[in-house]
Amino acid sequence: MNDYRYDHQTVQGFILSAIFWGVVGILIGLLISVQLWAPAANFAPYLTYGRLRAVHTNGLAFGLGVGAIFGLSYWIVMRLCKRPLLFPRLARVQLWLFNVGIALAALSLMAGQTQSLEYAELEWPLDIAIVVLWVMFAVNVFGTIAKRNEQQMYVSLWYVIATVIAVAVLYLVNNLSIPAGWDKSYHLFAGVNSANVQWWYGHNAVGFVFTTPILAMFYYFLPKATGLPIFSHRLSIVAFWSLVFAYLWTGAHHLVYTPLPDWIQTLAIVFTLFLIAPSWGSVVNGYYTVGQDWTKMRSNYLTKFFVLGITFYGLQTVQGPTQALRVVSQLIHYTDWVPGHVHMGTMGWVTMVTAASIYHVIPRIYGTEIYSERIANVHFWLVLVGQLLFSITMWITGIRQGWMWKATDAEGRLVYRNFMETVTGNYPYWHTRTLAGIIFTVGMLFFVTNVLMTIRKGRALERGASGAPAPAAA
Amino acid sequence: MAGRIYSKAFPFSVMALVAVLAGTIVTMAYPLVRPEMHVKVAGLAPLGPLELAGRDVYQREGCVNCHTQTVRPLKSEVVRYKGNRAQEPTGRYSLAGEFAYDHPFLWGSKRTGPDLAFEGWIKPSRDWHAAHYADPRALVARSNMPAYAFLAKEQLDAAELQAHMRALRKVGVPYTDEDLAAVPAAVAGKTAMDGLVAYTLSLGKAVNRAAPGGIDVELDAPNPLAASVEAVVKGKALFETNGCGACHGDEAHGQEGVAPSLVDGEFLGVAGDLPDAAYFAMIKGGSDVKPALGRPGVPDGGMQAYGADLSDEDVWSIVAWLRNQKAHEAAEHPEHEDAEHGKKE
Repeated sequence: MNDYRYDHQTVQGFILSAIFWGVVGILIGLLISVQLWAPAANFAPYLTYGRLRAVHTNGLAFGLGVGAIFGLSYWIVMRLCKRPLLFPRLARVQLWLFNVGIALAALSLMAGQTQSLEYAELEWPLDIAIVVLWVMFAVNVFGTIAKRNEQQMYVSLWYVIATVIAVAVLYLVNNLSIPAGWDKSYHLFAGVNSANVQWWYGHNAVGFVFTTPILAMFYYFLPKATGLPIFSHRLSIVAFWSLVFAYLWTGAHHLVYTPLPDWIQTLAIVFTLFLIAPSWGSVVNGYYTVGQDWTKMRSNYLTKFFVLGITFYGLQTVQGPTQALRVVSQLIHYTDWVPGHVHMGTMGWVTMVTAASIYHVIPRIYGTEIYSERIANVHFWLVLVGQLLFSITMWITGIRQGWMWKATDAEGRLVYRNFMETVTGNYPYWHTRTLAGIIFTVGMLFFVTNVLMTIRKGRALERGASGAPAPAAA
Repeated sequence: MAGRIYSKAFPFSVMALVAVLAGTIVTMAYPLVRPEMHVKVAGLAPLGPLELAGRDVYQREGCVNCHTQTVRPLKSEVVRYKGNRAQEPTGRYSLAGEFAYDHPFLWGSKRTGPDLAFEGWIKPSRDWHAAHYADPRALVARSNMPAYAFLAKEQLDAAELQAHMRALRKVGVPYTDEDLAAVPAAVAGKTAMDGLVAYTLSLGKAVNRAAPGGIDVELDAPNPLAASVEAVVKGKALFETNGCGACHGDEAHGQEGVAPSLVDGEFLGVAGDLPDAAYFAMIKGGSDVKPALGRPGVPDGGMQAYGADLSDEDVWSIVAWLRNQKAHEAAEHPEHEDAEHGKKE
């Protein structure tokens, strides 16, 4: 067991880093939600909505998301390969570089250094740092898998491998740019090509940051937490290959009705509809897995996180293809509906499953139990209510504003000619969204407390077990 | 599919890579070599130095997070963003060929504020944009846009701009050595605000989206609706729904440094009023009509043409309201003053 001790501390380091950046990202999310209805809350130039929105999205996608993915993927890889990491010190260097990178990323975005590509805002020096981080991750994942002590690779390993490969391809291509100074560059591609490459990247960042690594966690931690085996191995095989094949064709559904050639849009829409099948393959597999014993919903506090998480994943992957249809896109595209959609995936699916996985891992590092199941339950309900309130509010106001933009009278004239008429109706919904964000944030603070208290309890146990006097608090 | 591949990491990884590359090649790489992805509208020119500086500011401040730059080929959208003024049907919405020098594209994904693709045509007033960027709520009540007054204090740096143009040249924007040499003179004494305003006014200008020209100015023509109370009521509503108040103020009193009053004793910068038909021509044809009226107005003033959006009856109704408003002012004002005096005494 001692072989794992060093690696477990690295895993815990990634988890704690992810939690730290998660709290930062969520608080900035709250601030920008206020800025939307209270423009006086913009503090120019560094703390305006235009600059902070990227800090929010990058902080949570890369700080919370990728930080947790690094840590939990290492945990999964070690367990499924039945050995410690092949390069433990490299993983520790990666942990430090990750934190320095995210800190610099946040500062550079506040300074206005941006490529103006969604989820690829960071300028070229930070892009290079991210590539280095990803190479470190890939070397350890592939190295450890190559030297594994369990011949058969379980589903979760497939998803980790697909994540490592796909993100590398996506990130390298979309960030091709020509530097115009140390803090400024211009995209290699222009106009329609720039748009097409960006949304091929942008949508698959969702696919291979917010989907495949989370599915890796789901397939590993759900059976571990519940003691129930995955319902169908064959279904997980079909779902895996069809998902990683189909995802890459769908980016242009973000560009429906733009000047991008129609054939690329249509191809993307068709594959987006197909994507329902592999997504629901995993949803069905998840439901039938828990369906072997529904009493686990009561007896095991983690089960509900996974069940609600996969439920939101299921809703997300029906809503997404619906949005890609031209007739729906023309109504809701560019409105608040879309943030409502995205936040169901991030706040519902990603956060639920990631938090449950962390609840599973942290006590096991110390051979103990979670600090408080009651706090975990409070966390669950607050996050659930906050997320539902957020998304439903945004869907309503998105449809409302989309209709107002489109409304014409019998003579073909706009009913709401002044754009502001369509904006002011958002304000009550934007107030509610901030309230939803506060509820969600409080829920996440319960989660953070629970994790930190579990670590504290684990460390106390360790000190007791070793018989050494407790060292002064660091 | 079953079996051995799941115990062999290398072949498995190669298979996963192939699965990922299939869609990548067809939908991302192949379009890069397709001719329809490399079109240019006739006469497309790279942004000038001041406009490019403005685009850099637009990127830096994250304007793209709240404003899109593509007008979709949807009827309501074409009408909202005044694409319907274009005489060529293809100019009514955004075209691939307009963006051939856009590194990166700035189409955006969210319209918290309006689309800006045709802003150079929709709101061609330099003064309005400068005032609006400095303090959005002074011109648009309840707007949630941040204020960017600090941009007016930021001097543009010619050397930095030249470095940016050299980088753009490497990705294919045809800047010449002469273009680079002209930068210091073009941005001398200019601020980031000047750049941002210039960029805003350049948006959509690669394609002709001007309203049909040739408004016949007949100053003798009487207002057929002059005596109509219904026309006054309708005109007031049209003044509001078409956003006239955004520049001229809700009561048409004008706004300092943005747009003139429509109810005082001046018209187009000269004392003394002109007949109703002059107002009619200015609303229909915009600032282009000024020479025909023989008055200078504000230099490069930004009155837009509403001829494509409003029927003649609508325009006469607005004029009727403006005249009614002016008469009302003249009658009310002294009385109002007296009342004030009465209170003070």
